[in-house]
Amino acid sequence: MRKMWLIIVREFMERVRKKSFIVATFVTPLLMVVLMVAPSLVMFYGSSDQKQIAVVDRSGMVSDKLVSTSEVMFVDQSTMTKAEACRVFNAESGVLGVLYIGSEIEHRDSVQLITNESSSIMIEESITHQIKSVVEREKLRAYDIENLDEILASVATNIELATYENNGTGEEATMESTSSGISYALGIILGMMLYMLLILYGQMVLTSVVEEKSSRVIDVMVTSSSPFQIMMGKILGIALVAVAQIAIWATLVISASKFLLPVIFSADMAATNDMMMQMIVGTLGDTGYIASLFGCLLLFVVGGFLLYAALFAAAGSAVDSVQEGQQYNTIIMMPIILSIIVMMSIFNDPNSPIAFWASMVPFTSPIVMIARIPFGIPWWEVVVSLVVLYASVVVVVWLASRIFRIGIFMHGKRPSWRELLQWIRTK
Amino acid sequence: MDNILTIEHVSKSYTGHKALDDVSLEVPRGAIYGLLGPNGAGKTTLIRVITRITLADAGRVLLDGKEVTTDEVFHIGYMPEERGLYKKMKVGEQAMFFARLKGMSRRDAETRLREWFERLEIADWWGRKVEDLSKGMAQKVQFISTVVHEPKLLIFDEPFSGFDPINADRLKQEILGLRDRGATVIFSTHNMASVEEICDHITLINKSHNVLSGSVEEIRREAGGNTFEVIHRADDEQFNLAIAGIATPLTESRGIVGGYRETKIHIAKDEDVKVVIERLNNKCDLRAISEVIPSINDIFIRAVNGAL
Repeated sequence: MRKMWLIIVREFMERVRKKSFIVATFVTPLLMVVLMVAPSLVMFYGSSDQKQIAVVDRSGMVSDKLVSTSEVMFVDQSTMTKAEACRVFNAESGVLGVLYIGSEIEHRDSVQLITNESSSIMIEESITHQIKSVVEREKLRAYDIENLDEILASVATNIELATYENNGTGEEATMESTSSGISYALGIILGMMLYMLLILYGQMVLTSVVEEKSSRVIDVMVTSSSPFQIMMGKILGIALVAVAQIAIWATLVISASKFLLPVIFSADMAATNDMMMQMIVGTLGDTGYIASLFGCLLLFVVGGFLLYAALFAAAGSAVDSVQEGQQYNTIIMMPIILSIIVMMSIFNDPNSPIAFWASMVPFTSPIVMIARIPFGIPWWEVVVSLVVLYASVVVVVWLASRIFRIGIFMHGKRPSWRELLQWIRTK
Repeated sequence: MDNILTIEHVSKSYTGHKALDDVSLEVPRGAIYGLLGPNGAGKTTLIRVITRITLADAGRVLLDGKEVTTDEVFHIGYMPEERGLYKKMKVGEQAMFFARLKGMSRRDAETRLREWFERLEIADWWGRKVEDLSKGMAQKVQFISTVVHEPKLLIFDEPFSGFDPINADRLKQEILGLRDRGATVIFSTHNMASVEEICDHITLINKSHNVLSGSVEEIRREAGGNTFEVIHRADDEQFNLAIAGIATPLTESRGIVGGYRETKIHIAKDEDVKVVIERLNNKCDLRAISEVIPSINDIFIRAVNGAL
């Protein structure tokens, strides 16, 4: 145990002290924040310059009521015919296109947008929406209702759907709010994180074993420790690095949720009616919930990592160079990639049979389960999944150590599958 | 005699070839034991069997009369030929790591290592990375890592390769010193000069077999048995005729000063040296005859060529 501990410490210290680790640990979250914030920033500031649209209105009731937006500016050209307008406002004119509105608006093909360059869905929707409300309003006006504008204003309604999980008590205060949107985002982030960690750290195990073998340090090592101690020392040492990294990230996120979010949002929160925003802030601000998520992440990361690391270690022991390890590498990565595919599918239905079983089978369970947890699945499922996962860890580690203890001393030809089986069986 | 290591009928096959075939040998306590043999003879395989890196197909390895187990291996210090050090690690930390793996306490390890680093004049390298070291330097670090916990059995695989003569001599002195302090040393080599200088026992392995084992003195005497150097005045034909039937010349005669010639002969086992002397005296104007003790190098070559 003392020897394994020494090996663990060495592996851990060697990696944690590297600049690349420090950079990855502190830059990755920053990068993720930037990636999440960037799109909205782009939408906010980077809106492309206003495009002009020439309007030829034969109905005579729409053109003057169209409101220019930040994207389009409507210019009334109803004095021209459609054909004339198209000729004048051609590609060279710098105008986006011609909006033609026929005299019978509701007839088919009566409203046309003839563009010089492709328009965006947003522009098209804004046009349709505006024309529709103009026409509807005109129709209402035809009924000669008094105070129509006030009535319309008081009728305008805004609905946000708040969803809760039924816990059988009927007391709303105790129910947990659920939102598939937030679950979706959290699930995807957690699943992806696990995917990255598995691949990144799994590879690290393979590389580390191959290095140990090709530098022949292993020859010196075995005169002081058993191959099993060496393998487990390496795996646990690297696992500890992963745990340290997650712990640092968790600390950053939790402290952000506890201290930073209230400061940023407290002022706006009172003002805003946006339920979605409240919910996101509420979820992220729920420190206990965030902490329990990270707890689950940790358990599944460690279990999933041990499972795959053992396989990577066995693969590394069987080959002489990292390149040679590629074949095994690909095979081991397959279930990881499969997990990601299944994970994508579970967002439609987090309780579908495939989602359920994929979160029970040990090789896919870490990623699929961690992605399902934010949807609020029953706790017994999580527990069963963990038990199955850790039981298979024991089996796989045992099998891997059988291969490792022989493979690590074999040089030359890469062993066949039959030989690998033989190694497992030899006493 | 008190043997620290006994190897009994060890065989080891790799796919398609036999690396060790029924090899037995005994290493006396306190000896410096040379494991000789041409490249690919099976020396390294034998060492790897002793250190339990490879498990033998058959036979036993006894350390102090007990079969070697994983725990027993800790009493062995092993320096492989292909030096194994973590390249990215700092020299001092690395030496500490290996020393502590061998069961030394942190404080013990540090004091002893500092001493050794001082002694081999690499104290300045404590904080450097291994990848910045020259080959000889790295080897010194490896040597220290091997011996620092003072195991009772030390095994060096080709310890002198890669050292300049001064440092090789340095290492030799250290190995002798370790022996004087009670360790038993086994090393494999094909550097015969070093064998003669420091080994007291050897085993010669050729083509997976133990060809020859014993103390250097005895082996040389035995192998040299009945080889003589004769100084005389006869020509080859005359000389051969004189000894025909009782001895065979090993070399062509060689002219030396004063018109004398020198020939190496091998006297058949059951012949008396006196008879040979008498014949030579009568027919060849014998001036001198002396027994030749062959060098280990000669023995090595003769053994490998199957002439022993």
